[in-house]
Amino acid sequence: MPESEKLDYDQLEVGHEFPPVSYRLDKSMVEMFLEAVEEVNSLYRDMEIVPPMALAARAMAALAECVSPPPGSIHISQELEFQSAVKTGETITCVARILRKQERGKLRIMIVGLDVFNQSQEKIAAAKTSFMLPVPD
Amino acid sequence: MTPVKLNDLREGSDLPGIKKDIKQERVNQYAEASGDFNPIHLDEEFARNTPAGGRIAHGMLILAYASEMMTAAFDRNWLTGGKLNVRFKIPARPGDTITVSGKVTKLEKNEENTLIYCAILCTNQDGETVITGDATVTIKN
Repeated sequence: MPESEKLDYDQLEVGHEFPPVSYRLDKSMVEMFLEAVEEVNSLYRDMEIVPPMALAARAMAALAECVSPPPGSIHISQELEFQSAVKTGETITCVARILRKQERGKLRIMIVGLDVFNQSQEKIAAAKTSFMLPVPD
Repeated sequence: MTPVKLNDLREGSDLPGIKKDIKQERVNQYAEASGDFNPIHLDEEFARNTPAGGRIAHGMLILAYASEMMTAAFDRNWLTGGKLNVRFKIPARPGDTITVSGKVTKLEKNEENTLIYCAILCTNQDGETVITGDATVTIKN
Protein backbone atom coordinates (compact mmCIF):
# COMPACT_ATOMS: atom_id res chain seq x y z
CA MET A 1 0.00 0.00 0.00
CA PRO A 2 1.49 3.42 -0.91
CA GLU A 3 2.48 5.56 2.10
CA SER A 4 -0.10 8.20 1.10
CA GLU A 5 -2.94 5.64 1.41
CA LYS A 6 -2.00 4.45 4.88
CA LEU A 7 -4.26 5.51 7.72
CA ASP A 8 -3.06 7.45 10.75
CA TYR A 9 -4.28 7.36 14.35
CA ASP A 10 -7.04 9.96 13.93
CA GLN A 11 -8.56 8.17 10.95
CA LEU A 12 -8.84 4.84 12.75
CA GLU A 13 -11.94 3.83 14.68
CA VAL A 14 -12.09 1.04 17.22
CA GLY A 15 -13.36 -2.04 15.34
CA HIS A 16 -11.86 -0.91 12.03
CA GLU A 17 -10.71 -3.97 10.09
CA PHE A 18 -7.99 -3.63 7.49
CA PRO A 19 -8.08 -5.46 4.17
CA PRO A 20 -6.42 -8.91 4.42
CA VAL A 21 -2.75 -9.07 3.42
CA SER A 22 -1.28 -12.33 2.08
CA TYR A 23 2.34 -13.48 2.01
CA ARG A 24 4.05 -16.54 0.62
CA LEU A 25 6.53 -17.84 3.18
CA ASP A 26 9.25 -18.58 0.69
CA LYS A 27 12.44 -20.41 1.56
CA SER A 28 14.71 -17.39 1.12
CA MET A 29 12.63 -15.31 3.57
CA VAL A 30 12.67 -18.11 6.16
CA GLU A 31 16.42 -18.66 5.73
CA MET A 32 17.09 -14.95 6.13
CA PHE A 33 14.93 -14.91 9.28
CA LEU A 34 16.81 -17.90 10.73
CA GLU A 35 20.13 -16.21 9.99
CA ALA A 36 19.00 -12.91 11.51
CA VAL A 37 17.88 -14.52 14.77
CA GLU A 38 20.69 -17.12 14.72
CA GLU A 39 18.22 -19.97 15.21
CA VAL A 40 19.64 -23.45 14.59
CA ASN A 41 16.78 -25.73 15.69
CA SER A 42 16.46 -28.64 13.24
CA LEU A 43 12.67 -28.23 13.20
CA TYR A 44 13.26 -25.17 11.06
CA ARG A 45 16.58 -26.02 9.40
CA ASP A 46 15.80 -29.58 8.28
CA MET A 47 12.04 -30.05 8.47
CA GLU A 48 11.15 -26.79 6.73
CA ILE A 49 8.73 -25.67 9.41
CA VAL A 50 8.39 -21.89 9.54
CA PRO A 51 9.45 -20.45 12.92
CA PRO A 52 6.41 -19.00 14.69
CA MET A 53 8.18 -15.69 15.16
CA ALA A 54 8.69 -15.46 11.40
CA LEU A 55 4.90 -15.70 11.11
CA ALA A 56 4.58 -13.02 13.75
CA ALA A 57 7.09 -10.82 11.93
CA ARG A 58 5.12 -11.15 8.72
CA ALA A 59 1.87 -10.36 10.55
CA MET A 60 3.49 -7.20 11.89
CA ALA A 61 4.60 -6.32 8.37
CA ALA A 62 0.97 -6.69 7.26
CA LEU A 63 0.02 -4.17 9.90
CA ALA A 64 2.77 -1.80 8.78
CA GLU A 65 1.30 -1.93 5.28
CA CYS A 66 -1.97 -0.48 6.58
CA VAL A 67 -1.03 1.93 9.37
CA SER A 68 1.46 4.75 9.39
CA PRO A 69 2.47 5.37 13.01
CA PRO A 70 4.10 8.78 13.59
CA PRO A 71 7.84 9.06 14.35
CA GLY A 72 8.48 8.40 18.03
CA SER A 73 5.92 5.60 18.26
CA ILE A 74 6.97 2.77 20.57
CA HIS A 75 6.01 -0.91 20.55
CA ILE A 76 5.18 -1.43 24.24
CA SER A 77 3.71 -4.90 24.51
CA GLN A 78 2.99 -8.01 22.53
CA GLU A 79 0.75 -11.01 22.92
CA LEU A 80 1.15 -14.01 20.61
CA GLU A 81 -0.66 -17.31 20.34
CA PHE A 82 0.51 -20.12 18.05
CA GLN A 83 -2.06 -22.74 17.13
CA SER A 84 -0.65 -24.62 14.18
CA ALA A 85 2.69 -24.98 12.41
CA VAL A 86 3.12 -24.07 8.75
CA LYS A 87 5.69 -25.25 6.23
CA THR A 88 7.94 -23.21 4.00
CA GLY A 89 6.22 -22.35 0.73
CA GLU A 90 2.74 -21.94 2.24
CA THR A 91 0.80 -18.71 1.92
CA ILE A 92 -0.59 -16.98 5.00
CA THR A 93 -3.21 -14.26 5.22
CA CYS A 94 -3.16 -11.65 7.98
CA VAL A 95 -6.18 -9.67 9.11
CA ALA A 96 -5.69 -6.72 11.47
CA ARG A 97 -8.27 -4.73 13.41
CA ILE A 98 -8.20 -1.86 15.88
CA LEU A 99 -9.12 -3.16 19.34
CA ARG A 100 -8.61 -0.10 21.50
CA LYS A 101 -7.55 3.57 21.45
CA GLN A 102 -6.73 5.52 24.57
CA GLU A 103 -5.16 8.88 25.40
CA ARG A 104 -3.03 9.39 28.51
CA GLY A 105 -1.75 12.95 28.80
CA LYS A 106 0.76 13.52 26.02
CA LEU A 107 0.62 9.93 24.82
CA ARG A 108 -1.80 7.81 22.89
CA ILE A 109 -2.10 4.06 23.12
CA MET A 110 -3.40 1.94 20.27
CA ILE A 111 -3.97 -1.80 20.50
CA VAL A 112 -4.24 -3.78 17.30
CA GLY A 113 -5.39 -7.39 16.97
CA LEU A 114 -4.02 -9.65 14.26
CA ASP A 115 -5.28 -13.05 13.11
CA VAL A 116 -3.19 -15.23 10.80
CA PHE A 117 -4.75 -17.90 8.57
CA ASN A 118 -3.18 -20.63 6.45
CA GLN A 119 -4.13 -21.32 2.85
CA SER A 120 -6.99 -23.59 4.03
CA GLN A 121 -8.40 -20.57 5.91
CA GLU A 122 -7.63 -22.18 9.28
CA LYS A 123 -6.51 -19.79 12.00
CA ILE A 124 -2.91 -20.62 12.87
CA ALA A 125 -1.85 -17.69 15.03
CA ALA A 126 -3.14 -14.58 16.74
CA ALA A 127 -1.47 -11.48 18.09
CA LYS A 128 -2.28 -8.38 20.07
CA THR A 129 0.14 -5.47 19.65
CA SER A 130 0.20 -2.29 21.74
CA PHE A 131 1.82 0.92 20.54
CA MET A 132 2.41 4.18 22.36
CA LEU A 133 2.19 7.14 19.99
CA PRO A 134 3.16 10.75 20.67
CA VAL A 135 0.36 13.34 20.59
CA PRO A 136 1.10 15.91 17.87
CA ASP A 137 1.75 19.50 19.12
CA MET B 1 19.35 -28.92 22.44
CA THR B 2 17.16 -31.75 23.76
CA PRO B 3 13.60 -30.77 24.73
CA VAL B 4 12.86 -30.91 28.45
CA LYS B 5 11.03 -33.98 29.78
CA LEU B 6 7.58 -33.18 31.12
CA ASN B 7 8.09 -35.50 34.09
CA ASP B 8 11.24 -33.59 35.06
CA LEU B 9 9.48 -30.23 35.24
CA ARG B 10 8.49 -28.78 38.60
CA GLU B 11 7.24 -25.38 39.66
CA GLY B 12 10.43 -23.36 39.98
CA SER B 13 12.34 -25.34 37.32
CA ASP B 14 14.61 -23.19 35.15
CA LEU B 15 14.43 -23.59 31.38
CA PRO B 16 17.78 -23.81 29.54
CA GLY B 17 18.61 -20.16 28.82
CA ILE B 18 20.03 -18.44 25.76
CA LYS B 19 22.63 -15.70 25.31
CA LYS B 20 22.90 -13.61 22.14
CA ASP B 21 25.11 -10.76 21.01
CA ILE B 22 23.17 -8.11 19.10
CA LYS B 23 24.96 -7.15 15.90
CA GLN B 24 23.84 -4.45 13.46
CA GLU B 25 24.29 -6.94 10.62
CA ARG B 26 21.65 -9.19 12.21
CA VAL B 27 19.32 -6.23 12.72
CA ASN B 28 19.67 -5.40 9.01
CA GLN B 29 18.91 -9.02 8.10
CA TYR B 30 15.88 -9.01 10.40
CA ALA B 31 14.60 -5.88 8.64
CA GLU B 32 14.89 -7.68 5.28
CA ALA B 33 13.22 -10.84 6.54
CA SER B 34 10.39 -9.11 8.40
CA GLY B 35 9.81 -6.18 6.06
CA ASP B 36 10.20 -3.74 8.98
CA PHE B 37 12.52 -1.05 7.63
CA ASN B 38 11.82 1.57 10.31
CA PRO B 39 14.94 3.80 10.17
CA ILE B 40 15.22 3.73 13.96
CA HIS B 41 16.67 0.24 13.48
CA LEU B 42 18.82 0.96 10.44
CA ASP B 43 19.82 4.62 10.06
CA GLU B 44 22.20 5.85 12.78
CA GLU B 45 21.81 9.52 11.88
CA PHE B 46 18.00 9.31 11.96
CA ALA B 47 18.00 7.24 15.16
CA ARG B 48 20.39 9.64 16.94
CA ASN B 49 17.76 12.37 16.62
CA THR B 50 14.96 10.30 18.19
CA PRO B 51 14.31 9.68 21.91
CA ALA B 52 16.13 6.33 21.45
CA GLY B 53 19.37 8.29 20.84
CA GLY B 54 20.72 5.71 18.40
CA ARG B 55 19.85 2.58 16.50
CA ILE B 56 17.90 -0.07 18.40
CA ALA B 57 17.09 -3.69 17.58
CA HIS B 58 13.54 -4.65 16.63
CA GLY B 59 11.63 -5.71 19.75
CA MET B 60 10.35 -8.71 17.79
CA LEU B 61 13.95 -9.77 17.09
CA ILE B 62 14.63 -10.03 20.82
CA LEU B 63 11.30 -11.78 21.30
CA ALA B 64 12.41 -14.35 18.71
CA TYR B 65 15.16 -15.36 21.17
CA ALA B 66 12.51 -16.05 23.82
CA SER B 67 10.61 -18.14 21.28
CA GLU B 68 13.86 -19.99 20.47
CA MET B 69 14.23 -20.90 24.14
CA MET B 70 10.63 -22.14 24.25
CA THR B 71 11.05 -24.21 21.06
CA ALA B 72 14.24 -25.75 22.44
CA ALA B 73 12.43 -26.67 25.65
CA PHE B 74 9.05 -27.77 24.31
CA ASP B 75 9.71 -28.64 20.65
CA ARG B 76 6.57 -28.78 18.43
CA ASN B 77 4.27 -28.19 21.41
CA TRP B 78 5.44 -24.57 21.34
CA LEU B 79 4.43 -24.23 17.69
CA THR B 80 0.96 -25.68 18.18
CA GLY B 81 0.04 -24.48 21.64
CA GLY B 82 2.35 -21.68 22.72
CA LYS B 83 1.32 -18.30 24.08
CA LEU B 84 3.51 -15.29 24.87
CA ASN B 85 2.50 -12.12 26.66
CA VAL B 86 5.34 -9.63 27.13
CA ARG B 87 6.17 -5.99 27.73
CA PHE B 88 9.11 -4.22 26.09
CA LYS B 89 10.79 -2.30 28.91
CA ILE B 90 13.91 -0.80 27.33
CA PRO B 91 15.36 -1.20 23.83
CA ALA B 92 18.21 -3.54 22.98
CA ARG B 93 21.01 -2.00 20.94
CA PRO B 94 23.72 -3.31 18.64
CA GLY B 95 26.63 -4.23 20.91
CA ASP B 96 24.36 -5.47 23.70
CA THR B 97 24.44 -9.03 24.95
CA ILE B 98 20.97 -10.36 25.72
CA THR B 99 20.35 -13.18 28.17
CA VAL B 100 17.00 -14.96 27.91
CA SER B 101 15.80 -16.98 30.87
CA GLY B 102 12.62 -18.81 31.75
CA LYS B 103 11.23 -20.38 34.89
CA VAL B 104 8.22 -22.67 35.33
CA THR B 105 5.76 -20.89 37.62
CA LYS B 106 2.83 -23.30 37.52
CA LEU B 107 1.89 -26.72 36.19
CA GLU B 108 -1.77 -27.51 35.64
CA LYS B 109 -3.10 -30.87 34.53
CA ASN B 110 -6.59 -31.62 33.32
CA GLU B 111 -8.04 -34.69 31.59
CA GLU B 112 -6.73 -33.75 28.16
CA ASN B 113 -3.77 -31.43 28.61
CA THR B 114 -0.94 -30.25 30.78
CA LEU B 115 -0.52 -26.49 30.88
CA ILE B 116 2.93 -25.16 31.70
CA TYR B 117 3.16 -21.54 32.79
CA CYS B 118 6.56 -19.85 32.59
CA ALA B 119 7.99 -16.47 33.52
CA ILE B 120 10.14 -15.00 30.73
CA LEU B 121 12.92 -12.47 31.21
CA CYS B 122 15.35 -10.90 28.74
CA THR B 123 18.13 -8.80 30.27
CA ASN B 124 21.08 -6.92 28.83
CA GLN B 125 24.74 -7.12 29.89
CA ASP B 126 24.07 -4.55 32.65
CA GLY B 127 21.30 -6.67 34.14
CA GLU B 128 18.59 -4.28 32.92
CA THR B 129 15.26 -5.81 31.93
CA VAL B 130 14.65 -5.56 28.20
CA ILE B 131 11.58 -7.79 28.02
CA THR B 132 9.48 -9.28 30.79
CA GLY B 133 6.37 -11.39 30.64
CA ASP B 134 5.02 -14.89 30.63
CA ALA B 135 4.52 -17.83 28.35
CA THR B 136 2.17 -20.79 28.41
CA VAL B 137 2.51 -24.12 26.61
CA THR B 138 -0.30 -26.62 26.26
CA ILE B 139 0.80 -30.24 25.90
CA LYS B 140 -1.69 -33.01 25.16
CA ASN B 141 -1.46 -35.80 27.76
